[in-house]
Amino acid sequence: MTSGLKDVVQAEWEDVVEAIEKCYELGWTDGLPVVPPTTERVQQFLDYADRPANEVLGAVPERRREITVDKVAANAVMAGCLPEYFPVVLAATEAMLDPVFNLIGPSSSLGGAGILAVINGPVIRELDINCRNNLFGPGNRANSTIGRSIRLILMNACASVPGLFDRSILGHPGKFSYCIAENETETHWNPLHVERGFPRGTSAVTVFACEGPRQVRAASKPEAILTCVADVASSLGTSMANTGSVGDTSAILRQGQIAMVVAGTSDVWDGWSKEDVRQYLQPRVRRPVADLKRVEVIEGDVEPEDEERFIPLVPSADDILVVFGGGQEGPTAALIPSWGAKVSSTAVTKAIRPPAG
Amino acid sequence: MALDTRKRYMLADPTTRPIAASFTGAQRLNDLRGKRVGLIDDSKPNGKEILEELADLLKARYGVADVMYHRKPSASKPADPEVVARMGKECDYAIVAIGD
Repeated sequence: MTSGLKDVVQAEWEDVVEAIEKCYELGWTDGLPVVPPTTERVQQFLDYADRPANEVLGAVPERRREITVDKVAANAVMAGCLPEYFPVVLAATEAMLDPVFNLIGPSSSLGGAGILAVINGPVIRELDINCRNNLFGPGNRANSTIGRSIRLILMNACASVPGLFDRSILGHPGKFSYCIAENETETHWNPLHVERGFPRGTSAVTVFACEGPRQVRAASKPEAILTCVADVASSLGTSMANTGSVGDTSAILRQGQIAMVVAGTSDVWDGWSKEDVRQYLQPRVRRPVADLKRVEVIEGDVEPEDEERFIPLVPSADDILVVFGGGQEGPTAALIPSWGAKVSSTAVTKAIRPPAG
Repeated sequence: MALDTRKRYMLADPTTRPIAASFTGAQRLNDLRGKRVGLIDDSKPNGKEILEELADLLKARYGVADVMYHRKPSASKPADPEVVARMGKECDYAIVAIGD
């Protein structure tokens, strides 16, 4: 039965190839083949999560769109999700639609943001979400399809169609799929969602509008690793090390958030908490006025004192998201700068509601 | 004649359509003399400069009495709804600048 689904399209096909081609014809894909969202399959997702089809999860007010549970389910089906993944996709959607995330910005901007989803909690083990080697790479159904759902929801339900409302100049590969989990069981660090106020033992997803991950190869001492990460985070040319498009210009630069994914073995970080990492990094992610003048981010001639006048790129230590994950063969990190200013979009965490029963 | 083996399916539409609320436009003005204008700067580069220039011109050339200026917190964020409501009440008309 298809009782809860009222927004349907009739289609006919003879075989699976025709079915896939039909979805291309309808303009529903991200360029890759999708699983046709038959009402039966979509209903399975709704039943699994036990959420009404017409429940409104949030809105994109600038585009006059309301996003309902059935639309999220249809896109999750197309992405290749299993019904068990659907509560994660729902939570990620709720997070993206939180006004603090300001979806209109990262989903339309020339800056070409991807939306990274970081998953925490028991759901990682239950759904076999990858938190180890190849963390940002292919090879795991849950990561690939949950991340892809986010993009299909943006394109189909939120009208972020490339060339229409998505005006990215370049974009990046994370726009196809960008979903990781934290390796919570092999570190002494608190999981990201616990640090952000969610109870241990619950599951949550954090969404972050950001650029691609830059891999950082580093030595095996915390200070050396963090010095490398700070250097990469302080690069010229990021959105954070720029001006414009923010109302309050008192900080001179836009300033944004960063995510740092820490790979390697946890014992490297003995005696360090995530808070220690944030406190160490924040004051070191900075750039002298002289450099910013040389690249015309700040107007004016370089004065001798400009070499020693530094501007922080991240406003506070809390604006650094630290995640433990990836392979353990050697100390490596990923540094991910935010798409834009913190005022334009801030990372949001939402609880993943376990299915009823 | 080949047998038609195509089957029919129902697909859940993954797309949405805009929900457009109807509205009535405000009465057009015939004269700007003595009027109060609201200015909204989107915070993109040059938005402020063009609006400041415009405010001077409107006062000097058309006798506009006063301006209420609002700069958005970010180009990608909406104008403060409270300011928009106040502008609606206290201003006779409004101009929005999109900079760059």
